[in-house]
Amino acid sequence: MDIRIVSRAFDPQAEIAAFAAGRDDAGALVSFVGTCRAETAGAAVEELRIDHYPGFSEKEIARLAEETSRRFSCPDLLVVHRVGAIRPGEAIVLVAALSTHRADAFEVVRILMDYLKTDAPLWKKETGPQGARWIEPRSEDYARRLKAEEETK
Amino acid sequence: MAPAALAEIALPKDVRTLGDLKDWVARQQPLLGAAMEATRTRLIVNQCVAHDLSQALADGDEVAFLPPMSGG
Repeated sequence: MDIRIVSRAFDPQAEIAAFAAGRDDAGALVSFVGTCRAETAGAAVEELRIDHYPGFSEKEIARLAEETSRRFSCPDLLVVHRVGAIRPGEAIVLVAALSTHRADAFEVVRILMDYLKTDAPLWKKETGPQGARWIEPRSEDYARRLKAEEETK
Repeated sequence: MAPAALAEIALPKDVRTLGDLKDWVARQQPLLGAAMEATRTRLIVNQCVAHDLSQALADGDEVAFLPPMSGG
């Protein structure tokens, strides 16, 4: 398992290629990349800033990743999460899972993303022409997280 | 509520538990106290999630009050 918080732009395709290289034990690779939008609810986004709690953020993301992957057949998992100042178009988060068959890899990526939205110790602030605002999870994010918890019981 | 305000303080005399510290912070910084009441605040002691306000604190402990998170 490879869990990283990075403060510079990263290349998701290069990360995925390195993660999957030589893994002929796995028959499925599923990945999700979340990127910074240039517009949200009709308002332009100039910059997204993500704060973290050094040490604790890494530890909590690793705990969520372990909890999710151990309920499925998932031999390896990659999480790269960006912090600091992010420009529209840049990758924010990458989650990739390897498994023998596709079903487990799809589930691990989906459920881990649902957990990260509400439980990863990270804080997003969006800056646009109207100023800056802190982002909180939407009610549907909390609903998905509850569902994820039921599915991983 | 904005995260990442950092302060090193000498433990006040009347602060023995996590709950005492939370009340003390709210008295020192009323806006922060009100924000902690208005949203779900998670308490972290020495980088571990704390569930009990009666948890004892000692000099050198690292305590964090975390506002709602938004990763992903």
